[in-house]
Amino acid sequence: MNAQFFEALLDPGLLPPAGLTTWNSSDPAARFAVYRNNVIVSLIDALADTYPVTQALVGEEFFRAMARLFVRQEPPRSRVLAFYGESFPAFIETFPPAASVPYLADIARLEMLRVQAYHAADAIELPADVIAQSIARIDELPELRIKFQPSVGILCSPYAVVSLWAAHQGITDISTVDPDVPENALILRPQLDIEVIRLTNGASSFIALLLQGKSLGAAHEAASLAADFDLTDILGLLIQTQAISSMKIH
Amino acid sequence: MNKKITAAALAMALGAAFATVSTTAAAAEMGGKEKCYGVALKGKNDCKAGAGTTCAGTSKVDYQGNAWSMVPAGTCEKTESKTSATGYGQLKAFKEKQA
Amino acid sequence: MPTPLPLVPQLRGASAPTLKIQLPSRAGLGLKPEHFQEILSTLPDLGFFEIHAENYMVDGGPFHYYLTRIREHYPLSIHGVGLSIGGEAPLDLAHINRLDKLLDRYAPASFSEHLAWSSHGHVFANDLLPISYDQPTLQRVCEHIDQVQTHLKRQMLLENPATYVEFATSTMAETDFISEVIRRTGCGLLLDVNNIYVSCINHHRDPYAYLRALPHAAVGEIHLAGFAEDIDAAGDPLLIDSHGSPVAQAVWQLYQYALDCVGSVATLIERDNNIPPFDVLLAEIQQAEHLLRTSDSAVPIAQETAA
Repeated sequence: MNAQFFEALLDPGLLPPAGLTTWNSSDPAARFAVYRNNVIVSLIDALADTYPVTQALVGEEFFRAMARLFVRQEPPRSRVLAFYGESFPAFIETFPPAASVPYLADIARLEMLRVQAYHAADAIELPADVIAQSIARIDELPELRIKFQPSVGILCSPYAVVSLWAAHQGITDISTVDPDVPENALILRPQLDIEVIRLTNGASSFIALLLQGKSLGAAHEAASLAADFDLTDILGLLIQTQAISSMKIH
Repeated sequence: MNKKITAAALAMALGAAFATVSTTAAAAEMGGKEKCYGVALKGKNDCKAGAGTTCAGTSKVDYQGNAWSMVPAGTCEKTESKTSATGYGQLKAFKEKQA
Repeated sequence: MPTPLPLVPQLRGASAPTLKIQLPSRAGLGLKPEHFQEILSTLPDLGFFEIHAENYMVDGGPFHYYLTRIREHYPLSIHGVGLSIGGEAPLDLAHINRLDKLLDRYAPASFSEHLAWSSHGHVFANDLLPISYDQPTLQRVCEHIDQVQTHLKRQMLLENPATYVEFATSTMAETDFISEVIRRTGCGLLLDVNNIYVSCINHHRDPYAYLRALPHAAVGEIHLAGFAEDIDAAGDPLLIDSHGSPVAQAVWQLYQYALDCVGSVATLIERDNNIPPFDVLLAEIQQAEHLLRTSDSAVPIAQETAA
């Protein structure tokens, strides 16, 4: 029973399941449609809540039509819907009608990183003396492994993802943004508010290497290849945003 | 890179970064990196039913290439075309607005 | 006609030492993130807040921050929307464990779930789907509720559903099915008055008779909400449990009758769609509180005990 009912919910090409009855002998399809609508609409709404800028960029009508295809193709696998649609950016990337907005998938990636940062485990405060002690043990500094707060995420894009996103927060006028300028984003949540910060190429590769578990010395050496890398600048940002949760040798 | 030099460079940078952050209370602008906040999220699990007036659940429209007629029609229409210059000017303008 | 119920031994849950429902007999409100800050800054005078469990099954962030603070000031009801108690598949143990963790963390006065199913295979439909009222389903639902109550070491409330279709395979009335589940498992009843009204209109039944047929002593909480109106293929009214409008007059009247039957019981105003300013919801809270106070002194209508 469940299987037939369920398949017909998600596939409008199928007839409603057999064995449905109505008191007035009216066609049960009209009533079954209430369930079909609720499943599809509630999941599209969940995507719209996660991807508001993606929706604004293409318009509500286009977004909801695209989201409907995605919902049918990839319905939730989890009973917890907080992160539903993690694969929506990949879907957008291969969805031909969205190809005229090449940066759309990366904007969606940034929005999913925001949702993940929003619900991530709370930051563990780095004790104030850890940095001072690290500086004191100068020989060990290159071997230091930096761990980040659970909310920290990085996005490197060939498009102006941060500027495009910021233009939808009332910060700037979208007509002044050139979407084809590569930008990198650092996403994190120091306390309750999520921050989206634009990073230089050097800074983002530095953080990406540290996230991969590379030592401070190795990350510094590799990131220094980027002309725009400024070690003091990025360390200052990481300290200021309380992005670091631990600094240890192992 | 020499290991000793690396260690010294790291110590200097870390010290300078630490000092800068400790002394500037509102160092919101580090190297032109804008800080932006967004709107809060809703809870997505619910026990309500959608009103039955839409046909989202029964629509059979699918993407079949030529069967799809919709085009993106949102704020993307206001962005610069791909054929524009590098855009460095626009980006700089954005930074200045933030400062 | 419903077939007579066979005698079935009670499951463990009926006698298990479970934590009973302790919500105050006052009006409460569904907690929405839109209202977090206003609630903490004004501390409105209401009986309790209710959350949807699954929304708080995340590691950290603002949801837990605000709920922790709101919990310091109000009793809490945790209402699950994704356990799929009516499903054919075994219950999701990982999900029961998530519930256990959440209940431990927030020590709610009540935990409730739905008489419905919502998942199949690995897919979750995010909807409360209807079940057939027959013996195999009854057996399964009782086993699932027993498992939940045993695992969580507490009594749960089961909510009567809002439905839009019925099944040819059903052999008993919804009220008989629910009464039997309560009798066998010892779970309580979350009496959703709006669902009663919606389902009874949709299936052409008398909502007052439906209410009379349920075990009143088992009611641990009442839900009130608004519905949307549609029509079916024959042009007859089809009501949708949309939670998107104020409680309808007909539902207020049925609520008054429910209070006459059941006595004064914790009552939730549910609003999950078209969420209005907080003041608008507070006005509905006050209306419910007024009816609760006037029913407080009244003697509940005596109910014949089921055979």
